[in-house]
Amino acid sequence: MACTRDKQQVINQYLDEEMTLLESKQFEEHLHSCPDCEKHVRELKKTTAIIQSASHFEAPKDFTAGVMDRLPKQSKTKRWQQWIRRHPIVLTAAVFFLVFVTSLSAGFGAEEEIVVRGDGHFIINESERTVVIPEGSAIQGDLFIRNGDVEVNGEVAGDITVVNGRHLQASSAQISGDIEEINQTFEWLWFEMKTLWNDAVPFLTPASEEE
Amino acid sequence: MDIVVKKIVREVKRGNQDAFAELVDLYKDKVFHIAYRMLGNAHEAQDVSQEAFLRAYTNIESYDENRKFSTWIFRIATNLSIDRIRRKKPDFHLEDQVSGTDNLDYHSQFAADIDLPEDQVVKLEMQQWIQDEIMALPPKYRSAIILKYLEDLSLKEISEVMNLPVATVKTRIHRGREALRKRLGQA
Repeated sequence: MACTRDKQQVINQYLDEEMTLLESKQFEEHLHSCPDCEKHVRELKKTTAIIQSASHFEAPKDFTAGVMDRLPKQSKTKRWQQWIRRHPIVLTAAVFFLVFVTSLSAGFGAEEEIVVRGDGHFIINESERTVVIPEGSAIQGDLFIRNGDVEVNGEVAGDITVVNGRHLQASSAQISGDIEEINQTFEWLWFEMKTLWNDAVPFLTPASEEE
Repeated sequence: MDIVVKKIVREVKRGNQDAFAELVDLYKDKVFHIAYRMLGNAHEAQDVSQEAFLRAYTNIESYDENRKFSTWIFRIATNLSIDRIRRKKPDFHLEDQVSGTDNLDYHSQFAADIDLPEDQVVKLEMQQWIQDEIMALPPKYRSAIILKYLEDLSLKEISEVMNLPVATVKTRIHRGREALRKRLGQA
């Protein structure tokens, strides 16, 4: 044991390295002259060395799996949310597909208004959903009709495209270009893509431009 | 390390259960080791340390991200270990007589030692002896000594784990060290 109760405190300070250099030098001098304190310090140093030599144990191999198995089960929606969070590309694709389908059905809906694109004189009959090109009038260029039939009695300089409708042709009609009826979704799709392609890269199709 | 842990904790808080496995992998050895040294038994140590991780998971919302995760999980583990020690029936000793026998103590219940190289036997005996000495300490000194000398934590960290002022932690380490010295010092 330490020679005095006070020295017991000092020994702890010494071992915890809570002394200034001078203080520890002074205490070490005391240790040289005091066998009790010297023995006490030696034994404590040995004790901590023994404890520190204790080997470290590792957790058993199946430890993590054991913990994960015992975690509370998550609800299906939560797991689904997690899955989406980790696979954002799927969400992007899904949204894109949704927008795509919506625009398609919008472009193909039966209740849509008649749309006519063309340069010239024509008559739109809303109740019968028919576009009439009267005799004697001419359309300069292409004619595009969506959601309605077209009756051509006059002259059309370019192509006629009818989406979601039919075309009727009088004997007096003069159509310089092709006539195309598009009544099915995939055809519509194909047409849209063709148009987009032609709009995007007009330089690739100079021949049709010049016609 | 801390940034990685923070990231994982945030994932877990967001509800990513799988991310928790990474946290377990990072800390399982230390937590298991503390529990083993507190309880002196691998089976109970596994039980308590797994329970500690389960509690960490269910209480992850209350974990303060500005503090070290290790401090938090060590605290759960030491508290659970001390609870377990308190609930345990008084230990039996190998020297106690086996009931219903004449003069048979528990030593006789073990199979004959398997042949091990001598130095390995010595090492095992040495390790068992250290553990026995740690187990002889009262639990409150035991945890302080384990965190200080086996886990190498600073006094400040120990005080956070044990939720005690640094001065109290120091006193416990000194008393634990002194108790060990009385038994080990002469060896």
